[in-house]
Amino acid sequence: MSDKIKDGKNKTEEGISRRDFLKVVGVAGGAAAASGGCSFEPVEQIIPYVIPPENSVPGIPDYYSSTCRECPAGCGIVVKTREGRAIKIEGAPENPINSGALCARGQASPQGLYNPDRVKSPLLKNEEGKFRAATWKDAEKALADRIQDLVAKGRGDRIVYLDGVETGSYDELLGIWADATGARRYHYETFSHEPIKKANEIVFGANSVPAYKIEEAEYLLSFGADYLETWLSPVSGGRGLGKLRSIKDGKIGKVVQVEARMSMTGASADRMINISPGSEVFLALGIANAMAKKAANVEDYIASLVSDHTPEEVSRKISVPAETIYEIAEEMLSKKSLAIGGGAAGTASNATEMLVAVNLLNHLSGNMNETVDFSDALAVSKSASYGEMLSLIKDMENGAVEVLIVRGINPAFILPRAAGFKKAMEKVAFSVSFSPFMDETAGMCSAVLPDNHPLESWGDFRARESFHGIVQPAVERVFNTKSSADVLISVSGLTEATKGLFASPDYYSFLRDYWKRMGADISPGKPFEDFWNESLKKGGVSVPVQPEAVSISGRMRLFSFSGRDAEFEGDGNLRLMPFPSAKFYDGRGANKPWLQELPDSLTSVVWDSWVEMHPSVAEEMGARDGSFVKVESPFGSFETQAFVHEGISPDTVAMPIGLGHDSYGRYAKGRGVSPMEILSTRSDALSGGYAWLSTKVRILPTGRDGLLVRTQYTKSQHGREVAQTVDIKDLGHKHDNGHDGHGHHPDFYPDLKYEKYRWGMSIDLSKCTGCGACVTACYAENNIPFVGKEQVARRREMAWLRIDRFFEKNPDGEVTARFVPVPCQHCGNAPCEPVCPVYATYHNHEGLNGMIYNRCVGTRYCSNNCTYKVRRFNWYSYKVPEPLNWQFNPDVTVRTKGVMEKCSFCVQRIRQSHDTAKDEGRDIRDGEVVTACQQTCATNAIEFGNLLDPHSRVSEASHDERGYKLFEEINTKPAVTYLKDVTQS
Amino acid sequence: MLPDFTNTALFLIVSALLSGVAFTAAANDEGPEQPILFSHKIHAGDNKIDCRTCHSYVEISTHPGIPSVQKCMGCHTHIQGRDIEYETDGGKVINLREEIAKVREYWEKKEPIPWVKVSPMAEYVQFSHKRHIKQGIECKTCHGEVEKMDVVRKTERLNMGFCISCHEESAKDEYHETQLKDCLTCHY
Repeated sequence: MSDKIKDGKNKTEEGISRRDFLKVVGVAGGAAAASGGCSFEPVEQIIPYVIPPENSVPGIPDYYSSTCRECPAGCGIVVKTREGRAIKIEGAPENPINSGALCARGQASPQGLYNPDRVKSPLLKNEEGKFRAATWKDAEKALADRIQDLVAKGRGDRIVYLDGVETGSYDELLGIWADATGARRYHYETFSHEPIKKANEIVFGANSVPAYKIEEAEYLLSFGADYLETWLSPVSGGRGLGKLRSIKDGKIGKVVQVEARMSMTGASADRMINISPGSEVFLALGIANAMAKKAANVEDYIASLVSDHTPEEVSRKISVPAETIYEIAEEMLSKKSLAIGGGAAGTASNATEMLVAVNLLNHLSGNMNETVDFSDALAVSKSASYGEMLSLIKDMENGAVEVLIVRGINPAFILPRAAGFKKAMEKVAFSVSFSPFMDETAGMCSAVLPDNHPLESWGDFRARESFHGIVQPAVERVFNTKSSADVLISVSGLTEATKGLFASPDYYSFLRDYWKRMGADISPGKPFEDFWNESLKKGGVSVPVQPEAVSISGRMRLFSFSGRDAEFEGDGNLRLMPFPSAKFYDGRGANKPWLQELPDSLTSVVWDSWVEMHPSVAEEMGARDGSFVKVESPFGSFETQAFVHEGISPDTVAMPIGLGHDSYGRYAKGRGVSPMEILSTRSDALSGGYAWLSTKVRILPTGRDGLLVRTQYTKSQHGREVAQTVDIKDLGHKHDNGHDGHGHHPDFYPDLKYEKYRWGMSIDLSKCTGCGACVTACYAENNIPFVGKEQVARRREMAWLRIDRFFEKNPDGEVTARFVPVPCQHCGNAPCEPVCPVYATYHNHEGLNGMIYNRCVGTRYCSNNCTYKVRRFNWYSYKVPEPLNWQFNPDVTVRTKGVMEKCSFCVQRIRQSHDTAKDEGRDIRDGEVVTACQQTCATNAIEFGNLLDPHSRVSEASHDERGYKLFEEINTKPAVTYLKDVTQS
Repeated sequence: MLPDFTNTALFLIVSALLSGVAFTAAANDEGPEQPILFSHKIHAGDNKIDCRTCHSYVEISTHPGIPSVQKCMGCHTHIQGRDIEYETDGGKVINLREEIAKVREYWEKKEPIPWVKVSPMAEYVQFSHKRHIKQGIECKTCHGEVEKMDVVRKTERLNMGFCISCHEESAKDEYHETQLKDCLTCHY
């Protein structure tokens, strides 16, 4: 959109200036008047089906249960389709992992399906190294010939299949294929959590990643685990936090986050303890020491293991007050507690030692088997190790890999460049990518055999032991792609060695056969079709698992802490902390414009990378927000912009992972920088897992300043009481009903009367984590255009729901953040309404502030007069490339240039409920209208409903003693009530 | 709403709008030319086929439903049509058998028939057929006596004035009128 307005002259796309436009209008208008009754009838066609799909009615959505494959958490999803197109993804309500909620990445998955930069057919590289479209027959033959060749020579081990973690039927299929060909398989996840597995093996004898049950805990102590962003199962983490932060009997759970750089997860904690990265182990040991002194029945060897690390000793080492350590120890013991640790950002070379100490905390608290469930291990436990990846790279370099098939991960991007994967790729004779996108790895391959998008595929995924999810196609294939499993089945049919390997003609029947066996196991006696159809409807099946209590293993007697600090490579003075992005995960989200335009939770940066630094670091080099700085390590350097923030340790700088692609489509390519370019290849000493946190860098000023494009440029609320808080001790004593001293103002007009409904919303700030899932859900539901970085820089972003974040310091001097989601407040006394000259915005009989696009003439007076700045103006008709527009919600008008728009409280959903209620001859029930933002919120921070019904959930929440209105003193009478964030010391 | 200036066709419409010419076409005398001269008169009039037979979703969905080619073939596999000249109300002379043969051609090519909409609705209007049918409003209230037309044409202008007049008349009380005349009932 940047080039639409050129040279500061007021020119539109095709060069018509405003003045010319008015001239033409004059002439045409005259002509039209002269010809009198001439009419302009746009010709529209109406295309029927040739053969109508069964049970599908145009105008009525069809829903398909499936499993989200945007990350290994494997949340259950329900795909809403209209006329054969996937228009919205929501969490599956009955799924045990996410119970209805979904993160921003899941919400954005239709933009992967309808991405204009998908690989549209098989591609083969010609002699000049250029990709040419090929038929599936030729492409499969090319692969089959290579495999045949190697298998015939008895060198099947020179075939390597590399993928993310797969489970269930596809895993079985791969196993059969690999056994027959002799191919080697690697299933590696970018965030492989090897230190967690190793520490669990050392302490509990269980080499796996268990389910951490945050929802069961009253006290959560997290050492760097970003459980709301990417760590293990973020939606499940959000669900857990929502429960933990529900007030019961005047009590609320408490969260303490220990990390060097305030993450979004740390921002939602009650306390954030900021320490030097890599020194977390000492704090954990200090707490263990204090707990061991107080706890009953502590094993002698455990007590002696931590005896050196007294809080006082630790305090001297890491500058955390000894009282704080004692306090945490006390709370760990007295409450139902859970300690977790890990996350890529916190993974230093001593990560396993840190996690062993964290495990000891859970052991000492006595809550081990209540809050940690080893019987319900996560799929990510099956990830290959970083060490295996390094040895694979070595094999590739030595020419020991002749055929490489890559699917599910993008090793050329996610591995540190210094590991040499890209170089080693050049030595592989024939490499094939199954990626649906032209990512960095695919671009280097000899052929691309594009897989279907998960929303077009059959499949299954067992994200955790207790639930086996189904992936079912919600839509027809958009492009000429083919499921990788089907490719392997047909390729097997083409080679001598594997002919007849699969009895099933295609993957769908293979999958059903697999489920047939599973059905016989889980529900013996039930006819398979019943089992299958029930599982399809639910999106999977619960698998009974034997509860498994773990206790401290014998190996622990032999263990001792090295006491060594984390090791870093490089002679720079700052530790570089690359952190996984909640928006992009390991970079796979970067090709989705909704995610690019979603402001980062803490910095509100869009469409770019940045480097976060402490004010003291910035001061030293004269940098401020937006200054270009050079980040230099022994492995390379790049330039990016600075973001100055107090929530980071002064010896650390931090950068998000996920941007800096040099391919991967128009939305990802060339945006930002990738920290992987300059990271060391060091691993964690005990587990061998990749030590993300092991590089030291130098930050050099460049002398250039620029605008770091954000949606919010202030970090403080300047005493405006936008984000209000209340101490837990002050609750239940006085009933202030949220007026907070502002009181009611006299009103010139009589109060508005509502007969049946007044729609209202409540937002609980003690539960809001600022994750942005609601924002992306809103984009998806309401056809909100993304406008690009240059337009955001001009403050032209279109989000109907924005999240404000403000940083403050608590009495202990710890930095904390407050998030306030701000949709249209649907004021009872709306400043926008009286200033509209054409009645395009008005208050309706159900309390909605209506915005009627076809009346709007674009004066923008309403936006100027809006107290909350939630109105957005269409400066352009934002066009999206085909087939991205296939996702549009047909129930919501696509707005064009010159029109104002804003949150409608999902009026289309209200209208839908009216329709259903009318059919059934009743009123709308409480909970029947669920707005898109409310639906996807993992912590249940949002309630929506009828304020006239005193028993509706939103009424109850709105009358909560924590309730307040935004800028109540202006007397706008908003329909949105905020519930104050709860603080506790 | 102001359409995109870059689109010339719409650009002229804006000009027309600004100079006071109605956007919505007047009820026209002739219907649009269709790929097949399908006669509603023969189907709904002479043979008394219920509207819902082909527009089968009209009671349950916002869309009335346009019959699939398969549905046309359901009858026309057996009905070849008379090999006679037939003069339509538009004055055009067609051979019935030849017109029906066109349906079979589409079916054999497995292609949909690209019908031209007779009553297009602006994109910013959310109209539900179901709601109106359930209210007992007859098809002809908006679409005219289709069963008497060979070539279906618009008999009402279907502009907002047309909608509102009915919404006003059918209001039971003041609150109901507020509901029926609320902008958000149709525009969102």
